[in-house]
Amino acid sequence: MSLPSLVPLIGIADVVIGLSLGSRLFLIAVGLSLIFGVLGVLNFAHGGFYMLGAYVTLAVVTSVVDNFWLAAVAGALAVGVVGAVIEFAAIRRLYDRVDADLDQLIVTFGFVLVIHETVRFVWGSGSYSIDPPDVFNFSVSLGGSTFNAYRLVVIGLAVAVLVSLWLFITRTYFGSLVRGTSSDREMASMLGVDVPRLYTGVFFLGSVLAGLGGALSAPLQSTSPALGDQVIIDAFIVVVIGGLGSMSGAFVGAMLIGMMQSLGPQFISAGSIAIPFLAMVIVLLFRPEGLFGGIGE
Amino acid sequence: MSATDTGGRVRAFGAAVADGWTPERFGLLAAIGLVLLAFGPTFQVYLFTDFLVVALFALGFNLLYGYTGLLSFGHGMFYAGGAYGLAIVLRDLSPVVADVVGAGIAPLATFVVGGVVGLTLVVAVAVPVGWLSVRLEEIYFALITLAFGMLGYSLIIQDPAGLTNGTDGVIVLLGSVDLGAASVRLGGRQVYYALTVVTVLATTYGVWRVVNSPFGTVCKAIRESPDRASALGIDVRHHRWMTFIVSAVVVGIAGVLRAGLASVASPGLTHWSTSAIAVIATVIGGATYFSGPIVGAFVFLYIRWAISRFPTLEAYWELFFGALLIAVVLFFKQGAVGGLLLLRDRLLGDGDAGGGDSGGGSEAADSGDSAATDGGRAADDATIDGGRAADDATIDGGRAADDETTDGGPTAGAPGDDSRPHRGDDS
Repeated sequence: MSLPSLVPLIGIADVVIGLSLGSRLFLIAVGLSLIFGVLGVLNFAHGGFYMLGAYVTLAVVTSVVDNFWLAAVAGALAVGVVGAVIEFAAIRRLYDRVDADLDQLIVTFGFVLVIHETVRFVWGSGSYSIDPPDVFNFSVSLGGSTFNAYRLVVIGLAVAVLVSLWLFITRTYFGSLVRGTSSDREMASMLGVDVPRLYTGVFFLGSVLAGLGGALSAPLQSTSPALGDQVIIDAFIVVVIGGLGSMSGAFVGAMLIGMMQSLGPQFISAGSIAIPFLAMVIVLLFRPEGLFGGIGE
Repeated sequence: MSATDTGGRVRAFGAAVADGWTPERFGLLAAIGLVLLAFGPTFQVYLFTDFLVVALFALGFNLLYGYTGLLSFGHGMFYAGGAYGLAIVLRDLSPVVADVVGAGIAPLATFVVGGVVGLTLVVAVAVPVGWLSVRLEEIYFALITLAFGMLGYSLIIQDPAGLTNGTDGVIVLLGSVDLGAASVRLGGRQVYYALTVVTVLATTYGVWRVVNSPFGTVCKAIRESPDRASALGIDVRHHRWMTFIVSAVVVGIAGVLRAGLASVASPGLTHWSTSAIAVIATVIGGATYFSGPIVGAFVFLYIRWAISRFPTLEAYWELFFGALLIAVVLFFKQGAVGGLLLLRDRLLGDGDAGGGDSGGGSEAADSGDSAATDGGRAADDATIDGGRAADDATIDGGRAADDETTDGGPTAGAPGDDSRPHRGDDS
C-alpha cells in the first residue's frame, strides 16, 4: 500500500478522539507520576481516584447543582481530600520502612479494593453517563468526519494543566520546595521544609488531578465500577513509557497511548491490545527511567 | 492477682495440650481429617480443594516475594500456563493418548500428559520472562511482571494462533477412567479432591525442601540484603532467575489443578487481578513464614465463604479483604501466622522469656523445643522469620544476620548477631 492511499484512512475525528483519550490518560498519569517523583509511592489506587472523580461529578450534577463545571471542581476536590486522608492515615506510616516501595504498593492496592467496593455500594454496579455541558455539546465537521466539540475542550484543558503544572513546579516557591524535596528529602528536611506536610500536599494535588481527569471524561465514557481497574493499567503504561516522575513524559506517553487506542485497531487487527504492554516491557528493560526521565522537565 | 492466676492456669493448660502434640500425632490427626473431609458435604469438599489450589498458587508466588523480596504482579500468567496446557491437551490430544495407552486409563494419562505439557509451557515462558524481569528490582520488577502478565492476557484474548479460544477460554473435560469393574470419574468431587490433596502435599513438601536447602538459604540472604549477598560471592541475579523459574513451576502446578477444578481454562487467570489473589493471601497470612501463604489462602477462602452466607454482604467481600490487607501491612506484617505464633507464645508462656520479642531471634532460639511440640511447623517458620519483623526499627545493617546463622550453605561466613534487639510486636 502506497503512502497517499493511507492518509484518508486516518480521519481527523480519529485523531481528535485519540488526543482526547490521551488527555484523560494524561490527567491521571501526571498525578501518578508527580506522586511517584516526589514521594516515591506508586499509587495503585490512582485509577480508583479517577473513577471516584467521575462518580462524584455525576452525583453532584444530577442531584445538587445542574452545572457541570462546578460539579467537576467538586469531584476533583473531593478526590483530593480522599487522597490526602489516605496519605495522612496510611501511606505516611510506611516511608521509613526498608521495603517501603512494595508495602506502599500493597497498601494502595488495598485501597483499590476498598474504593471499588465503596463505589459499588454507593452507586451500584450499573453504568452512568451524562451529556457534555450544553455550550460544547455540538458536532464539529472537519475534513469529512464529525466529532463532539467537547473533546476539543478536554484536550485544551489537558494542555492547560500541563502548562500550569510546569509553571507551578519551575516558577513558584512551593514548586522549588517540591523539586528540592524530590531530589533530597533529608536535606530539604534539615533546611526547614515540613516534609510530611509537603508530601500530603503533593498527594492532594496528584489526587485532584486524577479526580479532574475522571470528572472531565464523565461525559465521554460510561462510568462503572470497573473503570478504575481498566484505567490504572493504562496509566501504568503511560508513566512507564514517559518515565516515572516526568510530567512532560506523562503527556507524551498519554498522547501516544491515546492515539494508539484510537488508531491502532485500524492498522493492526490482531495483537493491538498487546502492543502497549510490549512497549512497556521494552521501555522497562532498555530505558527504565522512561523516554523522558526526571521530574519537572 | 486472680488475673495472673488465670494466666498461669491458661499457660499450664496450653502447655499440657502442647505436650500431646507430637509430630506423629499431629500428622495422624491431619491425615484423618483430610480423609474424613472427603466424605463431607460436596460443597465443603469443593471449598477445601479450592483452598488447596489457591494455597499452592500463593506458596509459589511467595517463593519469589517472601524469599527473595521480589513482588510479582504477573504470576497469573503461570497459573494460566498450567491451566491452558492441560485444557488444550485434553481438547486436542485425547484421541492420540487413547490410541497409545488404550481407552481405559486414557483420561488419567491425558491428564498427566496435559499437566506435563502445561508445566513445560510454564518453564518455556518463565525462563526468558524471568531472565528479563530479574534485571529489575522493587517497583520496576512489579511493573514488568504486571506488563508480562497483561501481555499474556492480551495474547490469550486475541488468540493469534487459534489455540486459546479467545475470551471464552477452553472447556476442560476430565472424563472417566474405566477399570473394567469400576468406572472412576476424574472430575468427581471426591476423586479430584484426593488428586489435589496428593499433588499439593507433594509439591508443598518439595517447596519446603527447596526452601530449607542451601539454595533457599541463599534466597533469604538475598532478600535481607542483596548487596551483602553479592559481596559474599552470590550471583544475585542468577539466583533470582532460578527462584523465578521454580516459583513459576509451583504456580503452574496450581494452574493445572485449577483448570480441572473449574472445568475451564479462562483468560481471567492471566489478568493482574488473579495475580493479586496470591498477593492478598500471602500478605494476610504472613510473607515471612513458609506457612504464611497457606494460612492466608485458608483465611481468604473461608472468610469469603463466611461472608457469602450473608446475602447483603456477599457482593462486598472485596471491601473486607482490602481493609484487612491495609491493616496487616500497616500494623502487623507478620500476618495471620505471626499472630498465631504470638498467641501460642502467650498461651505457653514462651513470650515472657523474650520480653515480647518474638522476632526472628527468639523464634530461632526456641526452635528446638518448638520442633518437639508442634510437628516442627513453628521451627520451619522461624528459620525464615528473619529481620523482616525488625525492619521498621533499623534502616539498615545486619538484617540478614538471623537467617544466616540458622543454616550453613554459602552464607556461613556471615557474622551472626542474635543479640541485636528486635522490634517488639506485642501490640
